[in-house]
Amino acid sequence: MNWNRIGAIASRKFASIRRDHRMFAFIVMMPAIQIILFGFAIGGSPTDLDVITVGEHPIYSELEESELLILHNVSDLQAAKQQVENGEAWAVIESNGTSLTIHFDASNQQIMQTIINEIKTATQEISPTLALQIAEPIHGEENSEFIDFLAPGIMVLVCFMFSLILTTMAFVGERNDGTLDRLFAAGVQPSEVLMGHLLAFSVIIVGQVSVVISIAVMFFEVPMHGSIILLFSLGLILGWTAMCLGLFLSTKAKSEFQAMQLVMPIVFPVLLLSGILWPVEALPFGLKEISMLLPTTWAAESFRSIMMRGWGLSNPLIWKSFIIVFAFGAVALLAASKSLKVRS
Amino acid sequence: MAIKISGLKRGYGKVRVLDSLDMSVNEGSIYGLLGPSGCGKTTLLNVILGFLIPEKGELNVLDNNAQVPGSDVGYAPQELALYLDLNISETLMFHGRLHEMPKSKIEEKGEWLKSFLDLPDFSRIVGKLSGGEKRRVSLAVALLHEPRLLLLDEPTVGVDPELRARIWQHLRAITDDGTTIVLTTHYIDEAGKADRVGLMRDGKLLAEEGPLELMDKYDTNSLEDVFLTLCKREVVA
Repeated sequence: MNWNRIGAIASRKFASIRRDHRMFAFIVMMPAIQIILFGFAIGGSPTDLDVITVGEHPIYSELEESELLILHNVSDLQAAKQQVENGEAWAVIESNGTSLTIHFDASNQQIMQTIINEIKTATQEISPTLALQIAEPIHGEENSEFIDFLAPGIMVLVCFMFSLILTTMAFVGERNDGTLDRLFAAGVQPSEVLMGHLLAFSVIIVGQVSVVISIAVMFFEVPMHGSIILLFSLGLILGWTAMCLGLFLSTKAKSEFQAMQLVMPIVFPVLLLSGILWPVEALPFGLKEISMLLPTTWAAESFRSIMMRGWGLSNPLIWKSFIIVFAFGAVALLAASKSLKVRS
Repeated sequence: MAIKISGLKRGYGKVRVLDSLDMSVNEGSIYGLLGPSGCGKTTLLNVILGFLIPEKGELNVLDNNAQVPGSDVGYAPQELALYLDLNISETLMFHGRLHEMPKSKIEEKGEWLKSFLDLPDFSRIVGKLSGGEKRRVSLAVALLHEPRLLLLDEPTVGVDPELRARIWQHLRAITDDGTTIVLTTHYIDEAGKADRVGLMRDGKLLAEEGPLELMDKYDTNSLEDVFLTLCKREVVA
Protein backbone atom coordinates (compact mmCIF):
# COMPACT_ATOMS: atom_id res chain seq x y z
CA MET A 1 0.00 0.00 0.00
CA ASN A 2 1.23 3.41 -0.95
CA TRP A 3 0.33 6.08 1.59
CA ASN A 4 1.01 8.95 -0.80
CA ARG A 5 -1.68 7.68 -3.10
CA ILE A 6 -4.03 6.94 -0.19
CA GLY A 7 -3.47 10.50 1.05
CA ALA A 8 -4.19 11.91 -2.40
CA ILE A 9 -7.43 9.94 -2.68
CA ALA A 10 -8.52 10.90 0.84
CA SER A 11 -7.95 14.61 0.35
CA ARG A 12 -9.65 14.51 -3.06
CA LYS A 13 -12.70 12.82 -1.52
CA PHE A 14 -12.76 15.17 1.42
CA ALA A 15 -12.63 18.20 -0.88
CA SER A 16 -15.65 16.82 -2.75
CA ILE A 17 -17.63 16.30 0.42
CA ARG A 18 -16.77 19.76 1.73
CA ARG A 19 -17.71 21.41 -1.53
CA ASP A 20 -21.10 19.72 -1.78
CA HIS A 21 -22.98 21.94 0.65
CA ARG A 22 -26.20 19.96 0.64
CA MET A 23 -24.34 16.75 1.30
CA PHE A 24 -22.35 18.44 4.05
CA ALA A 25 -25.52 19.68 5.71
CA PHE A 26 -26.99 16.21 5.44
CA ILE A 27 -23.95 14.67 7.07
CA VAL A 28 -23.85 17.10 9.96
CA MET A 29 -27.52 17.83 10.55
CA MET A 30 -29.26 14.52 9.96
CA PRO A 31 -27.76 12.52 12.84
CA ALA A 32 -28.46 15.45 15.17
CA ILE A 33 -32.06 15.80 14.00
CA GLN A 34 -32.55 12.05 14.16
CA ILE A 35 -31.37 11.69 17.72
CA ILE A 36 -33.35 14.74 18.86
CA LEU A 37 -36.56 13.40 17.29
CA PHE A 38 -36.03 10.00 18.86
CA GLY A 39 -35.39 11.61 22.21
CA PHE A 40 -38.60 13.61 22.08
CA ALA A 41 -40.85 11.02 20.49
CA ILE A 42 -39.91 7.76 22.13
CA GLY A 43 -39.26 6.68 25.67
CA GLY A 44 -40.44 9.73 27.57
CA SER A 45 -43.19 9.34 30.18
CA PRO A 46 -46.70 10.09 28.94
CA THR A 47 -48.26 13.05 30.76
CA ASP A 48 -51.71 14.61 31.30
CA LEU A 49 -53.36 11.23 31.84
CA ASP A 50 -56.95 11.64 33.03
CA VAL A 51 -57.80 9.32 35.91
CA ILE A 52 -61.10 9.28 37.78
CA THR A 53 -61.28 8.63 41.50
CA VAL A 54 -64.40 7.35 43.20
CA GLY A 55 -64.91 7.58 46.96
CA GLU A 56 -62.33 8.69 49.51
CA HIS A 57 -58.84 7.33 50.17
CA PRO A 58 -55.65 8.81 51.65
CA ILE A 59 -53.77 7.79 48.51
CA TYR A 60 -55.71 10.29 46.42
CA SER A 61 -54.01 13.30 47.93
CA GLU A 62 -50.67 11.59 47.27
CA LEU A 63 -51.64 10.97 43.65
CA GLU A 64 -52.53 14.64 43.29
CA GLU A 65 -48.78 15.29 43.54
CA SER A 66 -48.14 13.22 40.42
CA GLU A 67 -46.88 15.17 37.45
CA LEU A 68 -48.27 12.62 35.05
CA LEU A 69 -51.86 12.19 36.21
CA ILE A 70 -54.83 14.53 36.27
CA LEU A 71 -57.36 13.37 38.86
CA HIS A 72 -61.10 13.94 38.61
CA ASN A 73 -63.31 12.96 41.54
CA VAL A 74 -66.69 11.52 40.62
CA SER A 75 -69.18 10.11 43.13
CA ASP A 76 -70.97 7.62 40.92
CA LEU A 77 -68.96 4.54 39.85
CA GLN A 78 -71.17 3.81 36.83
CA ALA A 79 -70.78 7.36 35.50
CA ALA A 80 -67.02 7.13 36.02
CA LYS A 81 -66.78 3.85 34.10
CA GLN A 82 -68.86 5.36 31.33
CA GLN A 83 -66.27 8.11 30.96
CA VAL A 84 -63.55 5.50 30.49
CA GLU A 85 -65.83 3.74 28.06
CA ASN A 86 -66.13 6.99 26.11
CA GLY A 87 -62.38 7.47 26.06
CA GLU A 88 -62.48 10.53 28.32
CA ALA A 89 -60.23 8.94 30.93
CA TRP A 90 -57.74 6.06 31.19
CA ALA A 91 -58.77 4.53 34.50
CA VAL A 92 -61.18 4.61 37.40
CA ILE A 93 -59.83 4.12 40.90
CA GLU A 94 -62.57 2.84 43.17
CA SER A 95 -62.17 2.99 46.91
CA ASN A 96 -64.33 1.28 49.48
CA GLY A 97 -62.48 3.03 52.31
CA THR A 98 -59.68 0.52 52.79
CA SER A 99 -58.86 -1.40 49.61
CA LEU A 100 -58.63 -0.05 46.05
CA THR A 101 -59.97 -1.47 42.79
CA ILE A 102 -58.76 -0.10 39.47
CA HIS A 103 -60.76 -0.29 36.24
CA PHE A 104 -58.46 0.29 33.25
CA ASP A 105 -58.70 1.15 29.65
CA ALA A 106 -55.93 -1.33 28.86
CA SER A 107 -55.81 -0.62 25.16
CA ASN A 108 -52.50 1.21 25.61
CA GLN A 109 -50.12 -0.87 27.65
CA GLN A 110 -47.53 1.87 28.10
CA ILE A 111 -50.08 4.23 29.61
CA MET A 112 -51.52 1.53 31.86
CA GLN A 113 -48.03 0.75 33.16
CA THR A 114 -47.39 4.40 33.81
CA ILE A 115 -50.58 4.70 35.90
CA ILE A 116 -49.81 1.51 37.83
CA ASN A 117 -46.31 2.81 38.57
CA GLU A 118 -47.71 6.10 39.86
CA ILE A 119 -50.15 4.30 42.12
CA LYS A 120 -47.39 1.99 43.43
CA THR A 121 -45.21 4.96 44.23
CA ALA A 122 -48.06 6.65 46.03
CA THR A 123 -48.77 3.47 48.01
CA GLN A 124 -45.14 3.31 49.12
CA GLU A 125 -45.38 6.92 50.29
CA ILE A 126 -48.39 6.43 52.53
CA SER A 127 -47.52 3.00 53.93
CA PRO A 128 -43.74 2.61 54.06
CA THR A 129 -44.18 -0.38 56.34
CA LEU A 130 -45.25 -2.47 53.36
CA ALA A 131 -43.29 -5.69 53.06
CA LEU A 132 -42.01 -4.94 49.58
CA GLN A 133 -39.30 -2.31 49.47
CA ILE A 134 -37.40 -1.35 46.35
CA ALA A 135 -33.90 -0.37 47.37
CA GLU A 136 -31.67 1.99 45.45
CA PRO A 137 -30.81 0.16 42.19
CA ILE A 138 -27.38 -1.42 41.77
CA HIS A 139 -27.15 -0.11 38.20
CA GLY A 140 -29.06 2.74 36.68
CA GLU A 141 -31.36 5.34 38.16
CA GLU A 142 -34.04 5.05 40.81
CA ASN A 143 -36.69 6.48 38.51
CA SER A 144 -35.30 4.84 35.40
CA GLU A 145 -37.26 5.69 32.31
CA PHE A 146 -37.67 3.86 29.04
CA ILE A 147 -35.51 6.47 27.31
CA ASP A 148 -32.56 5.39 29.45
CA PHE A 149 -32.86 1.96 27.86
CA LEU A 150 -33.58 3.33 24.42
CA ALA A 151 -31.06 6.16 24.08
CA PRO A 152 -27.88 4.05 23.97
CA GLY A 153 -29.48 1.83 21.32
CA ILE A 154 -30.59 4.77 19.23
CA MET A 155 -27.11 6.28 19.48
CA VAL A 156 -25.73 3.01 18.10
CA LEU A 157 -28.33 2.97 15.33
CA VAL A 158 -27.60 6.55 14.27
CA CYS A 159 -23.81 6.02 14.29
CA PHE A 160 -24.25 2.86 12.23
CA MET A 161 -26.91 4.00 9.79
CA PHE A 162 -25.37 7.29 8.73
CA SER A 163 -21.92 5.83 8.21
CA LEU A 164 -23.50 3.12 6.11
CA ILE A 165 -25.53 5.50 3.96
CA LEU A 166 -22.53 7.79 3.52
CA THR A 167 -20.28 5.13 2.05
CA THR A 168 -22.77 3.00 0.13
CA MET A 169 -22.93 5.74 -2.48
CA ALA A 170 -19.15 6.14 -2.57
CA PHE A 171 -18.10 4.32 -5.72
CA VAL A 172 -21.31 4.04 -7.64
CA GLY A 173 -20.75 7.27 -9.50
CA GLU A 174 -17.01 6.80 -9.74
CA ARG A 175 -17.37 3.48 -11.49
CA ASN A 176 -19.84 4.74 -14.03
CA ASP A 177 -18.01 7.97 -14.95
CA GLY A 178 -14.66 6.26 -15.59
CA THR A 179 -12.75 7.99 -12.78
CA LEU A 180 -12.16 4.71 -10.97
CA ASP A 181 -10.74 3.19 -14.17
CA ARG A 182 -8.40 6.10 -14.42
CA LEU A 183 -7.15 5.47 -10.89
CA PHE A 184 -6.57 1.82 -11.68
CA ALA A 185 -4.73 2.76 -14.88
CA ALA A 186 -2.43 4.88 -12.71
CA GLY A 187 -1.57 1.74 -10.78
CA VAL A 188 -3.71 2.46 -7.71
CA GLN A 189 -4.69 -0.70 -5.82
CA PRO A 190 -8.29 -1.34 -4.74
CA SER A 191 -7.15 -1.44 -1.11
CA GLU A 192 -5.68 2.05 -1.54
CA VAL A 193 -8.95 3.36 -2.96
CA LEU A 194 -10.82 1.88 0.02
CA MET A 195 -8.35 3.25 2.57
CA GLY A 196 -8.49 6.68 0.98
CA HIS A 197 -12.27 6.76 1.27
CA LEU A 198 -12.18 5.47 4.84
CA LEU A 199 -9.71 8.17 5.79
CA ALA A 200 -11.81 10.95 4.25
CA PHE A 201 -15.01 9.70 5.86
CA SER A 202 -13.31 9.22 9.22
CA VAL A 203 -13.14 12.97 9.67
CA ILE A 204 -16.92 13.04 9.29
CA ILE A 205 -17.47 10.13 11.64
CA VAL A 206 -15.53 11.82 14.44
CA GLY A 207 -17.96 14.72 14.12
CA GLN A 208 -21.04 12.52 13.91
CA VAL A 209 -20.20 10.41 16.95
CA SER A 210 -19.37 13.53 18.99
CA VAL A 211 -22.67 15.16 18.06
CA VAL A 212 -24.69 12.06 18.88
CA ILE A 213 -23.05 11.54 22.29
CA SER A 214 -23.23 15.23 23.22
CA ILE A 215 -26.92 15.54 22.41
CA ALA A 216 -27.82 12.37 24.31
CA VAL A 217 -25.82 13.22 27.42
CA MET A 218 -26.19 16.99 27.60
CA PHE A 219 -29.57 17.63 26.01
CA PHE A 220 -31.54 14.56 27.06
CA GLU A 221 -29.54 14.03 30.24
CA VAL A 222 -29.23 10.31 29.68
CA PRO A 223 -27.16 9.06 32.63
CA MET A 224 -23.46 8.66 31.95
CA HIS A 225 -21.74 6.62 34.63
CA GLY A 226 -18.82 5.27 32.59
CA SER A 227 -15.96 6.66 30.57
CA ILE A 228 -17.05 8.98 27.79
CA ILE A 229 -13.78 8.28 25.96
CA LEU A 230 -14.54 4.57 25.94
CA LEU A 231 -18.04 5.28 24.62
CA PHE A 232 -16.63 7.57 21.95
CA SER A 233 -14.05 4.98 20.87
CA LEU A 234 -16.66 2.26 20.51
CA GLY A 235 -18.87 4.67 18.54
CA LEU A 236 -15.96 5.40 16.20
CA ILE A 237 -15.12 1.75 15.65
CA LEU A 238 -18.78 1.01 15.00
CA GLY A 239 -18.87 3.87 12.49
CA TRP A 240 -15.81 2.47 10.72
CA THR A 241 -17.36 -0.96 10.60
CA ALA A 242 -20.51 0.46 9.06
CA MET A 243 -18.38 2.34 6.52
CA CYS A 244 -16.53 -0.83 5.56
CA LEU A 245 -19.86 -2.57 5.07
CA GLY A 246 -21.09 0.41 3.05
CA LEU A 247 -17.98 0.34 0.87
CA PHE A 248 -18.57 -3.34 0.23
CA LEU A 249 -22.18 -2.70 -0.79
CA SER A 250 -20.95 0.15 -2.95
CA THR A 251 -18.75 -2.20 -4.95
CA LYS A 252 -21.84 -4.30 -5.67
CA ALA A 253 -24.34 -1.58 -6.57
CA LYS A 254 -24.69 -0.63 -10.21
CA SER A 255 -26.64 2.58 -9.68
CA GLU A 256 -27.34 4.99 -6.87
CA PHE A 257 -30.91 3.74 -6.68
CA GLN A 258 -29.61 0.20 -6.25
CA ALA A 259 -27.26 1.38 -3.53
CA MET A 260 -30.19 2.87 -1.62
CA GLN A 261 -32.12 -0.38 -2.06
CA LEU A 262 -29.22 -2.31 -0.55
CA VAL A 263 -29.16 -0.14 2.57
CA MET A 264 -32.80 -0.81 3.51
CA PRO A 265 -32.58 -4.57 4.11
CA ILE A 266 -29.67 -3.90 6.45
CA VAL A 267 -31.01 -1.01 8.47
CA PHE A 268 -34.28 -2.72 9.39
CA PRO A 269 -32.86 -5.97 10.78
CA VAL A 270 -30.29 -3.90 12.65
CA LEU A 271 -33.06 -1.76 14.15
CA LEU A 272 -35.23 -4.74 15.09
CA LEU A 273 -32.73 -7.44 16.03
CA SER A 274 -30.05 -5.52 17.90
CA GLY A 275 -31.94 -4.93 21.12
CA ILE A 276 -32.32 -1.27 20.21
CA LEU A 277 -36.11 -0.92 20.58
CA TRP A 278 -36.79 -3.91 22.78
CA PRO A 279 -34.62 -6.29 24.85
CA VAL A 280 -32.88 -9.06 22.89
CA GLU A 281 -34.07 -11.39 25.67
CA ALA A 282 -37.56 -11.19 24.15
CA LEU A 283 -36.49 -12.61 20.79
CA PRO A 284 -37.57 -16.18 19.95
CA PHE A 285 -35.06 -18.98 19.49
CA GLY A 286 -33.21 -18.61 16.21
CA LEU A 287 -33.59 -14.87 15.93
CA LYS A 288 -31.73 -14.49 19.20
CA GLU A 289 -28.78 -16.36 17.69
CA ILE A 290 -28.84 -14.12 14.61
CA SER A 291 -28.99 -11.12 16.86
CA MET A 292 -25.79 -12.22 18.60
CA LEU A 293 -23.99 -12.17 15.25
CA LEU A 294 -24.76 -8.51 14.62
CA PRO A 295 -22.09 -6.02 15.67
CA THR A 296 -24.84 -3.57 16.54
CA THR A 297 -26.25 -5.91 19.20
CA TRP A 298 -22.90 -5.92 20.96
CA ALA A 299 -22.41 -2.21 20.51
CA ALA A 300 -25.90 -1.41 21.85
CA GLU A 301 -25.47 -3.60 24.92
CA SER A 302 -22.04 -2.11 25.56
CA PHE A 303 -23.25 1.46 25.10
CA ARG A 304 -25.95 0.74 27.67
CA SER A 305 -23.48 -0.88 30.06
CA ILE A 306 -20.92 1.90 29.75
CA MET A 307 -23.57 4.57 30.26
CA MET A 308 -25.79 2.96 32.91
CA ARG A 309 -23.56 0.46 34.65
CA GLY A 310 -20.35 2.40 34.28
CA TRP A 311 -18.52 -0.66 33.05
CA GLY A 312 -15.00 -0.31 31.70
CA LEU A 313 -12.78 -2.10 29.23
CA SER A 314 -11.88 -4.74 31.81
CA ASN A 315 -15.41 -6.09 31.68
CA PRO A 316 -15.69 -9.06 29.27
CA LEU A 317 -18.81 -7.68 27.56
CA ILE A 318 -17.05 -4.43 26.73
CA TRP A 319 -13.76 -5.78 25.42
CA LYS A 320 -15.51 -8.54 23.51
CA SER A 321 -17.70 -5.91 21.87
CA PHE A 322 -14.66 -3.95 20.75
CA ILE A 323 -13.18 -7.11 19.21
CA ILE A 324 -16.42 -8.26 17.56
CA VAL A 325 -17.29 -4.87 16.09
CA PHE A 326 -13.73 -4.43 14.82
CA ALA A 327 -13.59 -7.95 13.35
CA PHE A 328 -16.85 -7.42 11.50
CA GLY A 329 -15.45 -4.27 9.94
CA ALA A 330 -12.20 -5.98 8.97
CA VAL A 331 -14.08 -8.79 7.23
CA ALA A 332 -16.29 -6.30 5.39
CA LEU A 333 -13.23 -4.33 4.26
CA LEU A 334 -11.55 -7.48 3.03
CA ALA A 335 -14.68 -8.44 1.11
CA ALA A 336 -14.82 -4.95 -0.38
CA SER A 337 -11.23 -5.10 -1.61
CA LYS A 338 -11.87 -8.53 -3.13
CA SER A 339 -15.00 -7.24 -4.81
CA LEU A 340 -13.38 -4.08 -6.17
CA LYS A 341 -11.14 -5.84 -8.65
CA VAL A 342 -8.82 -4.17 -11.13
CA ARG A 343 -8.33 -7.26 -13.23
CA SER A 344 -11.10 -9.54 -14.42
CA MET B 1 7.91 -3.07 -30.54
CA ALA B 2 5.83 -1.29 -27.87
CA ILE B 3 2.81 -3.60 -28.03
CA LYS B 4 2.70 -7.08 -29.49
CA ILE B 5 -0.52 -9.08 -29.39
CA SER B 6 -1.16 -12.40 -31.06
CA GLY B 7 -4.13 -14.72 -31.10
CA LEU B 8 -5.96 -12.70 -28.47
CA LYS B 9 -9.36 -13.92 -27.36
CA ARG B 10 -11.48 -12.25 -24.74
CA GLY B 11 -15.17 -11.80 -24.02
CA TYR B 12 -17.56 -11.04 -21.18
CA GLY B 13 -19.31 -14.16 -20.00
CA LYS B 14 -20.60 -15.90 -23.10
CA VAL B 15 -20.31 -12.86 -25.33
CA ARG B 16 -17.13 -13.04 -27.36
CA VAL B 17 -15.81 -9.54 -27.99
CA LEU B 18 -12.25 -10.06 -29.22
CA ASP B 19 -11.36 -13.11 -31.27
CA SER B 20 -7.99 -14.26 -32.64
CA LEU B 21 -6.75 -10.70 -32.75
CA ASP B 22 -3.20 -9.82 -33.77
CA MET B 23 -1.77 -6.38 -33.33
CA SER B 24 1.64 -4.78 -33.29
CA VAL B 25 2.46 -1.21 -32.37
CA ASN B 26 5.89 0.29 -32.99
CA GLU B 27 7.62 2.29 -30.32
CA GLY B 28 7.37 6.03 -30.83
CA SER B 29 4.48 5.83 -33.26
CA ILE B 30 0.81 6.70 -33.39
CA TYR B 31 -1.51 3.79 -33.88
CA GLY B 32 -5.10 4.53 -34.85
CA LEU B 33 -7.74 1.95 -34.08
CA LEU B 34 -10.59 2.59 -36.47
CA GLY B 35 -13.93 0.89 -36.37
CA PRO B 36 -17.63 1.32 -35.69
CA SER B 37 -18.95 1.55 -32.11
CA GLY B 38 -19.27 -1.80 -30.45
CA CYS B 39 -16.49 -3.41 -32.49
CA GLY B 40 -14.34 -4.00 -29.41
CA LYS B 41 -11.98 -1.01 -29.43
CA THR B 42 -12.50 -0.13 -25.77
CA THR B 43 -12.26 -3.79 -24.75
CA LEU B 44 -8.93 -4.02 -26.56
CA LEU B 45 -7.64 -0.96 -24.69
CA ASN B 46 -8.75 -2.58 -21.43
CA VAL B 47 -6.74 -5.68 -22.30
CA ILE B 48 -3.65 -3.58 -23.04
CA LEU B 49 -4.15 -1.74 -19.74
CA GLY B 50 -4.17 -5.06 -17.91
CA PHE B 51 -7.77 -4.66 -16.71
CA LEU B 52 -9.00 -7.64 -18.70
CA ILE B 53 -7.10 -10.91 -18.64
CA PRO B 54 -6.95 -12.61 -22.07
CA GLU B 55 -8.65 -15.99 -22.30
CA LYS B 56 -6.18 -16.99 -24.97
CA GLY B 57 -3.24 -15.44 -26.75
CA GLU B 58 0.01 -13.59 -26.16
CA LEU B 59 0.25 -10.03 -24.92
CA ASN B 60 3.39 -7.93 -24.53
CA VAL B 61 3.15 -4.31 -23.47
CA LEU B 62 6.39 -2.26 -23.40
CA ASP B 63 8.96 -4.38 -21.55
CA ASN B 64 8.82 -6.73 -18.63
CA ASN B 65 9.57 -4.06 -16.05
CA ALA B 66 6.99 -1.65 -17.36
CA GLN B 67 4.43 -0.33 -14.91
CA VAL B 68 1.19 -0.96 -16.76
CA PRO B 69 -1.15 -0.26 -15.12
CA GLY B 70 1.01 2.36 -13.41
CA SER B 71 3.14 5.33 -14.23
CA ASP B 72 4.28 4.07 -17.63
CA VAL B 73 0.82 4.43 -19.10
CA GLY B 74 -1.44 7.42 -19.52
CA TYR B 75 -5.10 6.64 -20.08
CA ALA B 76 -7.92 8.90 -21.15
CA PRO B 77 -11.19 6.93 -21.08
CA GLN B 78 -13.98 7.66 -23.49
CA GLU B 79 -16.08 9.01 -20.63
CA LEU B 80 -14.35 12.16 -19.45
CA ALA B 81 -13.45 10.50 -16.17
CA LEU B 82 -13.00 13.75 -14.27
CA TYR B 83 -14.11 14.77 -10.79
CA LEU B 84 -16.65 17.44 -11.60
CA ASP B 85 -16.42 19.15 -8.21
CA LEU B 86 -12.67 19.83 -8.32
CA ASN B 87 -11.11 22.78 -10.09
CA ILE B 88 -8.52 22.21 -12.82
CA SER B 89 -5.56 22.89 -10.57
CA GLU B 90 -6.82 20.39 -7.95
CA THR B 91 -7.47 17.84 -10.69
CA LEU B 92 -3.90 17.99 -11.97
CA MET B 93 -2.50 18.05 -8.43
CA PHE B 94 -4.50 14.93 -7.55
CA HIS B 95 -3.37 12.92 -10.54
CA GLY B 96 0.21 14.12 -10.17
CA ARG B 97 0.23 12.94 -6.55
CA LEU B 98 -0.99 9.51 -7.67
CA HIS B 99 2.17 9.25 -9.76
CA GLU B 100 4.26 10.63 -6.91
CA MET B 101 5.32 13.69 -8.85
CA PRO B 102 6.75 16.52 -6.75
CA LYS B 103 4.48 19.55 -6.43
CA SER B 104 6.84 21.84 -8.35
CA LYS B 105 6.98 19.38 -11.25
CA ILE B 106 3.16 19.16 -11.37
CA GLU B 107 2.90 22.96 -11.43
CA GLU B 108 5.55 23.30 -14.12
CA LYS B 109 3.98 20.64 -16.32
CA GLY B 110 0.53 22.12 -15.60
CA GLU B 111 1.58 25.53 -16.91
CA TRP B 112 2.93 23.91 -20.03
CA LEU B 113 -0.25 21.90 -20.62
CA LYS B 114 -2.28 25.03 -20.03
CA SER B 115 -0.63 26.95 -22.83
CA PHE B 116 -0.43 23.98 -25.13
CA LEU B 117 -4.01 22.72 -24.75
CA ASP B 118 -5.35 26.22 -24.26
CA LEU B 119 -6.90 25.22 -20.94
CA PRO B 120 -9.24 27.61 -19.10
CA ASP B 121 -8.27 29.36 -15.88
CA PHE B 122 -7.05 26.76 -13.38
CA SER B 123 -9.44 27.93 -10.66
CA ARG B 124 -12.46 26.97 -12.77
CA ILE B 125 -14.52 24.02 -11.50
CA VAL B 126 -14.36 21.15 -13.98
CA GLY B 127 -18.11 20.48 -13.82
CA LYS B 128 -18.81 24.01 -15.10
CA LEU B 129 -16.58 23.74 -18.18
CA SER B 130 -17.88 23.15 -21.70
CA GLY B 131 -17.65 19.71 -23.30
CA GLY B 132 -14.59 20.59 -25.35
CA GLU B 133 -12.83 22.13 -22.34
CA LYS B 134 -13.49 19.02 -20.28
CA ARG B 135 -12.11 16.87 -23.07
CA ARG B 136 -8.90 18.91 -23.02
CA VAL B 137 -8.58 18.65 -19.24
CA SER B 138 -9.03 14.89 -19.57
CA LEU B 139 -6.23 14.79 -22.11
CA ALA B 140 -4.04 16.95 -19.86
CA VAL B 141 -4.48 14.43 -17.04
CA ALA B 142 -3.30 11.59 -19.29
CA LEU B 143 -0.26 13.59 -20.44
CA LEU B 144 0.69 15.02 -17.05
CA HIS B 145 3.13 12.35 -15.88
CA GLU B 146 4.82 11.94 -19.28
CA PRO B 147 4.03 8.24 -19.71
CA ARG B 148 5.82 6.03 -22.24
CA LEU B 149 2.52 4.73 -23.56
CA LEU B 150 -0.62 6.78 -24.12
CA LEU B 151 -3.99 5.08 -24.54
CA LEU B 152 -6.61 7.53 -25.71
CA ASP B 153 -10.19 6.37 -26.17
CA GLU B 154 -11.89 8.72 -28.66
CA PRO B 155 -9.74 11.72 -27.63
CA THR B 156 -11.10 14.19 -30.15
CA VAL B 157 -14.86 13.73 -29.74
CA GLY B 158 -16.49 17.11 -29.33
CA VAL B 159 -13.31 19.06 -30.03
CA ASP B 160 -13.34 21.75 -32.72
CA PRO B 161 -11.20 21.22 -35.87
CA GLU B 162 -8.63 23.83 -34.94
CA LEU B 163 -7.96 22.28 -31.56
CA ARG B 164 -8.03 18.80 -33.06
CA ALA B 165 -5.24 19.85 -35.36
CA ARG B 166 -3.26 21.18 -32.40
CA ILE B 167 -3.79 18.00 -30.42
CA TRP B 168 -2.46 15.99 -33.34
CA GLN B 169 0.49 18.32 -33.64
CA HIS B 170 1.30 17.69 -30.01
CA LEU B 171 0.82 13.95 -30.24
CA ARG B 172 3.23 13.98 -33.15
CA ALA B 173 5.74 15.98 -31.10
CA ILE B 174 5.72 13.57 -28.16
CA THR B 175 6.09 10.50 -30.37
CA ASP B 176 9.31 12.10 -31.62
CA ASP B 177 10.49 11.87 -28.02
CA GLY B 178 9.73 8.15 -28.03
CA THR B 179 6.19 8.08 -26.62
CA THR B 180 3.91 5.45 -28.13
CA ILE B 181 0.28 6.36 -28.67
CA VAL B 182 -2.71 4.14 -29.32
CA LEU B 183 -5.94 5.97 -29.96
CA THR B 184 -9.37 4.87 -30.99
CA THR B 185 -11.49 6.87 -33.36
CA HIS B 186 -14.42 6.51 -35.66
CA TYR B 187 -13.37 9.50 -37.77
CA ILE B 188 -11.84 8.01 -40.89
CA ASP B 189 -9.91 11.13 -41.86
CA GLU B 190 -8.39 11.25 -38.41
CA ALA B 191 -7.12 7.68 -38.62
CA GLY B 192 -5.39 8.72 -41.85
CA LYS B 193 -2.99 10.83 -39.79
CA ALA B 194 -1.74 7.86 -37.76
CA ASP B 195 1.47 6.00 -38.60
CA ARG B 196 -0.38 2.78 -38.63
CA VAL B 197 -4.08 2.06 -38.82
CA GLY B 198 -5.85 -0.97 -37.44
CA LEU B 199 -9.21 -1.52 -39.13
CA MET B 200 -11.38 -3.26 -36.62
CA ARG B 201 -14.70 -5.00 -37.04
CA ASP B 202 -16.50 -7.50 -34.81
CA GLY B 203 -13.52 -8.06 -32.54
CA LYS B 204 -11.00 -8.68 -35.29
CA LEU B 205 -8.39 -6.59 -37.03
CA LEU B 206 -9.21 -6.78 -40.72
CA ALA B 207 -6.02 -5.02 -41.70
CA GLU B 208 -3.13 -3.28 -40.03
CA GLU B 209 -0.81 -1.06 -42.02
CA GLY B 210 0.16 2.54 -42.71
CA PRO B 211 -2.73 4.53 -44.23
CA LEU B 212 -0.88 5.09 -47.51
CA GLU B 213 0.09 1.44 -47.85
CA LEU B 214 -3.50 0.43 -47.23
CA MET B 215 -4.84 2.73 -49.94
CA ASP B 216 -2.10 1.56 -52.28
CA LYS B 217 -2.86 -2.06 -51.65
CA TYR B 218 -6.57 -1.72 -52.34
CA ASP B 219 -6.00 0.71 -55.16
CA THR B 220 -8.12 3.52 -53.84
CA ASN B 221 -7.54 6.99 -52.49
CA SER B 222 -9.66 6.83 -49.39
CA LEU B 223 -9.47 4.76 -46.23
CA GLU B 224 -13.23 4.56 -46.28
CA ASP B 225 -13.13 2.51 -49.49
CA VAL B 226 -10.49 0.25 -47.97
CA PHE B 227 -12.72 -0.35 -45.04
CA LEU B 228 -15.79 -1.05 -47.20
CA THR B 229 -13.84 -3.45 -49.42
CA LEU B 230 -12.54 -5.32 -46.42
CA CYS B 231 -16.00 -5.52 -44.87
CA LYS B 232 -17.47 -6.97 -48.06
CA ARG B 233 -14.72 -9.52 -48.25
CA GLU B 234 -15.36 -10.48 -44.64
CA VAL B 235 -19.07 -10.99 -45.32
CA VAL B 236 -18.37 -13.15 -48.37
CA ALA B 237 -15.84 -15.23 -46.47
